[in-house]
Amino acid sequence: MVNYLSSYLVMACIYAMLALSLNMQWGYTGLMNFGIGAFYMVGAYTSAILCGLPSPEHLGGFHLPILMGMAGAACMAGLIAYLVAIPALKLRGGPFAIALLAIQETFFLIIKNESWLTNGVWGIRDIPQPFFSLVNPRFYVFIYLIIAIVALTLTYLSMERAVNSPWGRVLRAIREDETLTDMSGKDCFNFRRQSFVFSSMVAGLAGAVYVHYTGFVSPQTFSPLMSTFLVWLMVMVGGTGNNRGVILGAFLVWGVWVGSDFITNLVPASVATQIGFIRMFLVGIILTVTVLTRPQGLLTQKLSNIQLIEEEKHA
Amino acid sequence: MTDLVDLLISGLVYGSIITVGAIGLTLMSDILDFFNFAYGDFFTLGAFTTLAFLSVVPGQGTFAGLSFGWSMVLAVLLAALVTVMVMLAFDYLFFRRLRNMGVSSLFMSIASLGVSFIIRSIIFMIWGPKVRYYSSEVQLSKEFLGISIRPDNLFILLSSLLLVAAVYYFLKSSRIGKALRSVSDNKALAQASGMQPSLMIMCTWIICGILAGVGGTLFGIQVQLNPNMGWNFLIPMFVAVIMGGIGSFWGALIGGMTIGITEELVTGLIQNLVTAMELQINVSAYKPAVAFIFVIVILLLRPYGLFGKPQFNLKR
Repeated sequence: MVNYLSSYLVMACIYAMLALSLNMQWGYTGLMNFGIGAFYMVGAYTSAILCGLPSPEHLGGFHLPILMGMAGAACMAGLIAYLVAIPALKLRGGPFAIALLAIQETFFLIIKNESWLTNGVWGIRDIPQPFFSLVNPRFYVFIYLIIAIVALTLTYLSMERAVNSPWGRVLRAIREDETLTDMSGKDCFNFRRQSFVFSSMVAGLAGAVYVHYTGFVSPQTFSPLMSTFLVWLMVMVGGTGNNRGVILGAFLVWGVWVGSDFITNLVPASVATQIGFIRMFLVGIILTVTVLTRPQGLLTQKLSNIQLIEEEKHA
Repeated sequence: MTDLVDLLISGLVYGSIITVGAIGLTLMSDILDFFNFAYGDFFTLGAFTTLAFLSVVPGQGTFAGLSFGWSMVLAVLLAALVTVMVMLAFDYLFFRRLRNMGVSSLFMSIASLGVSFIIRSIIFMIWGPKVRYYSSEVQLSKEFLGISIRPDNLFILLSSLLLVAAVYYFLKSSRIGKALRSVSDNKALAQASGMQPSLMIMCTWIICGILAGVGGTLFGIQVQLNPNMGWNFLIPMFVAVIMGGIGSFWGALIGGMTIGITEELVTGLIQNLVTAMELQINVSAYKPAVAFIFVIVILLLRPYGLFGKPQFNLKR
């Protein structure tokens, strides 16, 4: 039971990192990224290829240290985000979301079809796990929980630092009124790109943290529902534009997701096979109920716009 | 050469189905003022309700070499009715309340994702993840004017063109159609001249529901039915809408046809090239990428789409 709880917490930490990343894009900059999962996936595969053991089936087996794999994952996700941003950030709002949705679809197809690179649907196994030899494998999840919490804390602190800095204020200004920010002499495209690349790097890092936990990666983990829309749900439930809120949202939503496992044990087998669809249904219901009853999410933004203006005056 | 003609025909058929969807979507994005991500799942709903009605409506046999008979026509009409009802129910229970809350259109788009998941999961629960077909027989191509085409595809092409023409006629000549176009032109002015917004929104849902029900069924005839079909179809439909310019009828028509033909031609020709080079790459798996590149290029050249109105700033 404690093991179960710990593995829930590890995954919740990873999802919380993703939710923080999306929150910087949607909550602070107003970028409607429906393809956040693509960067999570790129990070996961980069770290798997960099750190994995040599294998004849796919590229990789560089067997680098795990920290280098994580750095590589963040850099690769950032690089791809930089390249994607050049055309995609010319779009805004709905078209931007559709472009990112198409990008996610394309990356998903590449990972699934190009087996020389990623071993296709069979996935990459035997990815090294940090400090694995130190303890009994049964208690390994506790070690990893510490790693995941450290990663989440570092992400949270750097995100808070970023969004409360003058740089973060520009992002919020872009979210509220891009034309006005442009006229105030800020290079909006550049700021949006910086926000996009930085948060995509965080998503890539989350992917790396994920693969070194499971030791195995395959495309199924990165279906749009699991890797993108679940994260969107976390942000919407937790509170758009509030970093603590989205972490809370991640823990709650992941709790519901894992909790639906218990339903499987209670209901007859014929219903239990439909658990995946019931989960999808739950995602839909939670999202619709949230937007109707609490559109701001559980925790609201710390500063309203008027307070923000007041703060600027005093500063 | 025959290869090229075959690709062109399958592109035309695919494009005509995209067009049917895109016209509904462009109308909806314009009058309801948000990108409805649940639209693809209404497509799936239409296709599956046709399948359900097909097993209960009387009338066996086929006609004119098609793989289905008159029962299909009846089933499609009933399915379109059901799709309209479901759409209106969701509008009443959900979208209407959001509109009254006065949320932004981006927020509405995200909220529509919730509806999308609800519909899709219910379809999954009822029909299961298995791929289904309306008819199990394999259809052979026939020669028409020296071009070989499957009768089913010809039927899809003709009926979707007929449907598009009917919608055009409706928008052009009927009282409600004119009102809809005036709302699309200038919302405030239309409202001041006595157009009821709630009535206009209901009409939009009805037109979109009919188009989704019929379009989904046509898509099901052309390929196969699976609960994810509409969701995957969303990207080409949206690309057609954005490319043509939001709210533009002709834009959706030209956009849909162009996307359909380009996807088939580009992937088909590159596949031929790759096979000639003896490489083992499945190019057709990358169809969504073609649509994506397309929309980027078009929007860089013409930021409001081909026929878009400048006040439809892309910032929605």
